[in-house]
Amino acid sequence: MDNAPLRCVGLTKSFGGHRVIDDLTVSFEPGKVTAIVGPNGAGKSTLFHLMTGFLRPDKGDIWKGRRRINGLRPFIVARMGIGRLFQDVRIFERLTLLENVLVGFPNQSGENPVWPFLLPHVVRRQEAAHLAAAERWLDLVGLGGRSSGSAEELSFGQRKLLAIARLLALGSEALLLDEPTSGVGRGMIDSLVALMKKLAREGRTVAVIEHNMSVVADCSDVMYFMDAGRVAAFGVPSEVLGNRSIRATYLGL
Amino acid sequence: MTYVWHLGVMVSLYIAVALSLNLVIGESGLLSVCQAAFYGIGAYASTLLVMKAHWSFGASIIGTLVFASLSAICIGLPSLRLRGDYFVLATLGFQIILYSVLYNWADLTNGPNGIPGIPPPRVFGIELASPYRYCTASFAMAAVIGGFTLVIVRSPFGRLMQAVRDNEVAAASLGKNWLLVRLTAFAIGAGLTAVAGAFYAGYARYIDPTSFTVMESIFMVSIVVVGGAGNFRGPAVGAVVLVLLPEGLRFLQIPEAIAANLRQVVYGMALVLFMLFRPKGIAGKYGFD
Repeated sequence: MDNAPLRCVGLTKSFGGHRVIDDLTVSFEPGKVTAIVGPNGAGKSTLFHLMTGFLRPDKGDIWKGRRRINGLRPFIVARMGIGRLFQDVRIFERLTLLENVLVGFPNQSGENPVWPFLLPHVVRRQEAAHLAAAERWLDLVGLGGRSSGSAEELSFGQRKLLAIARLLALGSEALLLDEPTSGVGRGMIDSLVALMKKLAREGRTVAVIEHNMSVVADCSDVMYFMDAGRVAAFGVPSEVLGNRSIRATYLGL
Repeated sequence: MTYVWHLGVMVSLYIAVALSLNLVIGESGLLSVCQAAFYGIGAYASTLLVMKAHWSFGASIIGTLVFASLSAICIGLPSLRLRGDYFVLATLGFQIILYSVLYNWADLTNGPNGIPGIPPPRVFGIELASPYRYCTASFAMAAVIGGFTLVIVRSPFGRLMQAVRDNEVAAASLGKNWLLVRLTAFAIGAGLTAVAGAFYAGYARYIDPTSFTVMESIFMVSIVVVGGAGNFRGPAVGAVVLVLLPEGLRFLQIPEAIAANLRQVVYGMALVLFMLFRPKGIAGKYGFD
């Protein structure tokens, strides 16, 4: 995988005079799971919004390797290989589980309405391959066997798993996961931790916002502790989580 | 018997309109209230191409399809970026502008006097002069449009339209250009409706602006709402019911002046009642939110 690190340099973002992201410099390396931890309002989700083009920074730059990606529209950022799991999940409610995952695949010839008419066999062949792959992704997140069900009927945790399956179909080099394990059952959390490690081993860049400290300790190689839009601590999880002042101030330990 | 063929033509035309409008309202979740404008563009453009530019009917159909799709792109490009309500207002605005253009650009459209004496269309060398022939031809046209929309809806593009309808932000995060998807759906819906409009002009043999008002657009929306959106059956059932319903009133011996107004009342009531009690329509897949 020809993957480049993601870097944010001197990012600043304010909402109505309140600085949510304050001169933040962070970097996410391929092959590693990087956790982002911090209290509510630390700017974690805002950072992901900035990195995926849904918000524009007031100052600072975002780089994927040597390409500057701030200011690009969200769908362009996604096409450059940066996938995103939303905290509020955002599935396609009136589609089936299978259709939800199928939308995820990039470069579908049938998404141009001309080709289903002119080259139906090409579209069909590609669709058949995607269908098989989509079933596999659904199996992997534990939703196999109900692929023709409506996504509307899923619980919050299941919706999260569906969104993860959809993201896997997209096959991004970099994955920004906003609280992937919240609302998900204990058994599935272990699978997700294993999945994140596996994705990183394949050479992907995995960034994960997480509140569950045991998940952070289990899956991440490095972590940022964010507060008030800045980095309060950075390092390997055992160090940061062992840091006396972090424990006292934020974790109440 | 002529009366039955006449109803067959009208039902076929509105099935074609409803199925193309369903791509916009049902599959893409865009409430468009200017479909009669595209219907009118189809009727006027094909008539002018045939009568003034001496195109064949078949060529004029292609021409009008392209022209209506391009006008849809012009309206859609600025308004589809904004959410729901603005799009509805933009389509309403376009509907009113188009009516004024048809009414006032007398050099081209003959204004309020309309265009009389439209020759019956020739398809594959057959002149569609009798109501029976016209009924067959317009039914075939509706079937072709129906088949076309079916292929679209079942293709990955159809799935993408529905995905963008359900959540445009999620679609963008998956690398999908949602604005382009909406614009394409709106343009296809407009083009296909214009084809039905061309068939209307060839059938009525006379067109004037009053056939393409905002009331007509609302009637087209009510067909999709009453029949039901999001599948093939719903809009088709809606077209049959709403076209035939007022014909039923004829047999109740109600004076013509009252019957015309009663029609509007019946449509309005049907729209409200279905929105309230059966948002999925008679045979639809999706409700309206």
